[in-house]
Amino acid sequence: MNTTTLPGTPGKLAAGSRWAVETHGLTKRFGAKTPVNGVELLVPRGSAFGYLGPNGAGKTTLIRVLLGLTHADAGTMSLLGYPVPRHHAAALARIGAIVDEPRFHRHLTGRQNLRLLAAAREPAARDRIAPALERVGLAHRADDRVSTYSMGMRQRLGVAACLLPDPQLLILDEPMNGLDPAGMAAIREMILSLVAEGRTVMLSSHLLDEVERTCDAVAIVDHGSIIRQGPISELLAGALLAVQVECSEPGRARALLAGTTLGARVEAAPAALGLEITLPAGTGHDVIAEINRVLVEGGISVYRLQPVQASLESWFLQVTSRLGDPE
Amino acid sequence: MTTMPAGRGAPAPDRALQTAAPAGHSRDRRGSPIPTVGMIATRVMELRKRRGLMIALIVATIGFPALFLLIRLLLHAFAPGTSPPAGGYDIFKVLVAGFLPTFGFIAAATVGCTAGSRDLTEGMFRHLVVTGRSRLALYLARIPAGLAIVVPLVAIGYTIVCAVSVFAAPTFIIDSNVNIPPGLSRAGFENWAGDRPEPVICSLPYDGHIPGSIACAGPPGWSKSAVTPGQPAPAALEALAIKIASQDYSGYTAISRYPSIPLMVTAGLWIELEAAVGFILGLGLASLMGQRTGPVILIIVLQMILTPILAFAAIPHLQGLQRSFIGLAVAHLEPSGLPMFFGLPGVTGGSGGPGAALLPESAIQASCVVIAWLAGWTILGAWRMMTRDA
Repeated sequence: MNTTTLPGTPGKLAAGSRWAVETHGLTKRFGAKTPVNGVELLVPRGSAFGYLGPNGAGKTTLIRVLLGLTHADAGTMSLLGYPVPRHHAAALARIGAIVDEPRFHRHLTGRQNLRLLAAAREPAARDRIAPALERVGLAHRADDRVSTYSMGMRQRLGVAACLLPDPQLLILDEPMNGLDPAGMAAIREMILSLVAEGRTVMLSSHLLDEVERTCDAVAIVDHGSIIRQGPISELLAGALLAVQVECSEPGRARALLAGTTLGARVEAAPAALGLEITLPAGTGHDVIAEINRVLVEGGISVYRLQPVQASLESWFLQVTSRLGDPE
Repeated sequence: MTTMPAGRGAPAPDRALQTAAPAGHSRDRRGSPIPTVGMIATRVMELRKRRGLMIALIVATIGFPALFLLIRLLLHAFAPGTSPPAGGYDIFKVLVAGFLPTFGFIAAATVGCTAGSRDLTEGMFRHLVVTGRSRLALYLARIPAGLAIVVPLVAIGYTIVCAVSVFAAPTFIIDSNVNIPPGLSRAGFENWAGDRPEPVICSLPYDGHIPGSIACAGPPGWSKSAVTPGQPAPAALEALAIKIASQDYSGYTAISRYPSIPLMVTAGLWIELEAAVGFILGLGLASLMGQRTGPVILIIVLQMILTPILAFAAIPHLQGLQRSFIGLAVAHLEPSGLPMFFGLPGVTGGSGGPGAALLPESAIQASCVVIAWLAGWTILGAWRMMTRDA
């Protein structure tokens, strides 16, 4: 992960912390429900970070707590090195955020809405309105009323609002909701360009494919707690989904595997050129070698063993469904 | 990092962190509760762009009185014999003591309710909080912004009323339904009365004996033509008319064709106070409730139903509570020279004015009640805004 400031990082780093977002034991309760339950989150600076979870997992609540939209009940947190909520004003000065669906005053134009928000920020924010609208591709509709905007245009206006503070950190809650494929691609490109400028983007989403294409690291949240986090490459490295086997006698190979200790751990099924062996979550590469050894010792000619890497989506489903199963 | 207790509530103070605040933080002044000029200006824009609200506000504060006066001007222009002049003191009193404060208050309260609730209901409150700007500053910015819209519009409506009242005033003075030329000296007034014994004897107030043999035809109408030149009268009637005029001269001089400048100034300030109170009350109540419609209805009920009832019903043991109502307090501050608020003509009103039917309350008490309401609703609204989940 990138832990240092890249050249061209906007503004001045608030503190020497390597984390743009850091929480420990963060908890938020609503009556008997605990949508944020002891969250330990570390978002490295200068990265695109995905915050993933099924619906109702507590993603938006965590973001609302981070941004001071609601109070936490327990735990500690810091944004850009500023302890919050004590220094929320200073931290938020360099943070842009979309929380839930971006809604604006519908009777005002996009530009007027941004003027309203820029006025609450530092004076220089007003000068960033036009570049922000340009950047999100909304300059030609900036003087139209928001009531005439599509959902995708409002999303882009929300991103433009995020750019007003020249942010070091952008927190985007489901920014691709309601966007068509072109709009999603545009937002994805924008996020990547923002990260390339040294900014940190924390992206909450349930669109796993988009997150996988956009983010360097992710955290998976379920039932209010983070169950995995780290760089996507590291998380998926040991997460094999299946092994495709081309061999001389697929039928006998299948029976052979079922008769060994491997049989209880893997599931082999006929495939076009041999077998496809589905592996349980968390299976390492050593299982592939074990499969090869069993087949070769059984007198079966193995032509090819092809590990199939789990996608973020399949890994996410494995992880969350496993944890969601009743004990 | 700030440590929070494991229980409910806001984060606990962490002394160690106060000294560990990152460099540069102290230069950021967006935690200040004082709104910037830019925040106020954009707030004005946000309200000004609400077409429906602005139309309603303009109609209530300018449109209705302007239309009313325009109709009177036209009627008088085309039928001066049957339609009285559009302006004058009486028209000023009717509009300033009844219409303008009531509609100004409700219109201003509607603007306040809009300013206090629309950020929340339209989803902008969250965006504004995320700027890191003090929530108190966000709230306080709405007050000058709203007043910057309400006060000028009320002033324009009031200025129209004043202008028509002065420049389209009758050319005569109406005293007890008798049309009298203005600016007469005592001798001139007596001479005028001696020439017109019948209307003078029959209409002007007189604290003495009038012979029963005099037949009065009833009060004259509005038209000057209704005051006919006196017929050659017996000397006794002429003497009686002169005596009546002499006694009523002070009353005659107290009557104006149009309101005096001091009265117009004080009445204007009073109407603006009424509007400002309505705005602050609406802003606070809507911020507290997080919606617009409910507070508007509550304020209309308060102003148009509860306050008139409480003004004239002395409830035993609860008079202190009655006096604490904002409507009564503002009514007590009404300038003398206007009839009492709530549309009760003929009752001399104003603070401490004779014949006032309001529950007695001193101007200082009334001022304290007004200040308490303004401060109280501002604090309540700001508190809710600062503690509300966004």
